[in-house]
Amino acid sequence: MAVNTKAIKNRIKSVTNTKKITKAMELVSAAKMRKSVESALNTRTYATMARDLMAHLSGVEDKTKYGLLATRPVKNILMILISSNRGLCGSFNSNIARKAVFALQNKNELSKHILDSNKEVAPAGEVKVNILGIGKRSASLAKREGYELVGVYNDIEGSKDYEKVISISRNVIKDFEAGNYDKVVVAYTDYKTSLTQEPRIRQLLPISPRDLDEMLGNLGKNKNSAVVKIKDGTNKFDAGGYLFEPSEESILKNILPKLVEVQLYQSVLESSASEHSARMMAMRNASDAARDMINELNLTFNKARQASITQEIAEIAGGAAALE
Amino acid sequence: MLTFKIVTPDGVIYEDKVEKVTVPTTSGEITVLPKHVPLVSVLKAGELVAYKDGNPVAMSVAGGVIEVQPDDKIYIMADTAERAEHIDIERAEAARQRAEEMMKQKEHETDVDFARLQATIEREMARIRVAKKWRKLEK
Repeated sequence: MAVNTKAIKNRIKSVTNTKKITKAMELVSAAKMRKSVESALNTRTYATMARDLMAHLSGVEDKTKYGLLATRPVKNILMILISSNRGLCGSFNSNIARKAVFALQNKNELSKHILDSNKEVAPAGEVKVNILGIGKRSASLAKREGYELVGVYNDIEGSKDYEKVISISRNVIKDFEAGNYDKVVVAYTDYKTSLTQEPRIRQLLPISPRDLDEMLGNLGKNKNSAVVKIKDGTNKFDAGGYLFEPSEESILKNILPKLVEVQLYQSVLESSASEHSARMMAMRNASDAARDMINELNLTFNKARQASITQEIAEIAGGAAALE
Repeated sequence: MLTFKIVTPDGVIYEDKVEKVTVPTTSGEITVLPKHVPLVSVLKAGELVAYKDGNPVAMSVAGGVIEVQPDDKIYIMADTAERAEHIDIERAEAARQRAEEMMKQKEHETDVDFARLQATIEREMARIRVAKKWRKLEK
């Protein structure tokens, strides 16, 4: 037993050090989380409004006039996969990875366009999948799953990187308009509460009022249910009723790219809020586990110490008895 | 009464019931009163004034979209917006000068750069104008 105490002591020391680190990381993530959650929630109003506006306008326009609304049969699909740059954030990356892989396995379903009148535009032949990563971890996922990676942005952290997100979305729009991609989806993690985050997939281009995720969730079921509900459900937004100043065309040309930017920016913010929450929870669990472990080791250590003392006394007593 | 709400990517700037709203759009300044026809229009940099109980609430905005919904709801999605009393004139002035200098010295490789600088200058000028105007009135 006496041999053990030193080993146990070392073990306690190393666990204590680890606990210090995880505790510090927890505090750092908590601070970052507060900031990123705040900016995600702030932008949410804006993004929801943008989506509502889109839903109101979706009935109006002659779709063929605007490149960003074009529903071409899909040959090439781009998935923007938002992951974290660093690890140690619990199941954050594996959740989004699972979601993305599941969606890509059903890529024929993913690449269908559903039109208003319940019609579908089927993909044209074999669909080619490209992945654009945000966050380092997405790169390794793409490699592992064997999808072609067109680029990785690893310097996007959250709200302060608005400009960078905008430039990504500009590039994506350019590619879409040039016909390099016929559909662009974004896989991100939706922040619900600090305890629950939900990986989601959203269609970025062509702009559509339909919620892709719901569509995928209802695989094979009634596809009509996936239309984004206008807030109070009534159909007072008679499409023709809107007045456009100066003209429908100039307004849509102005709004549509902005919608894409906002959606992508929102996805980045939600993901960053989710990442920090996930990391904070993971680190809190690690700290708790370390504390339990230290308690247990302390107990073992004390027992071992006591045992060695008892043994020594027994030896002395035995020795004394032998002398008598 | 109008349900008025103005949001930017940084959050909700102002939200209240107001009597009327004056908005700078690309095709000129418009004032929205109750029972306005549903409208979608594009904003330009300038001064936006909402009237709450007869008192003006002034804001500077820089680009965005206004949506007037059929039931007297007015939603504005602005790129940036600021309440007049929150504007820091000195900072706005400095930002404008910086943008103007860049405009002068740089041989612009792309039109995008030029357009962005132009937009910055317009935005800062709008901020300065709004801040000066409403600060004077308060005193």
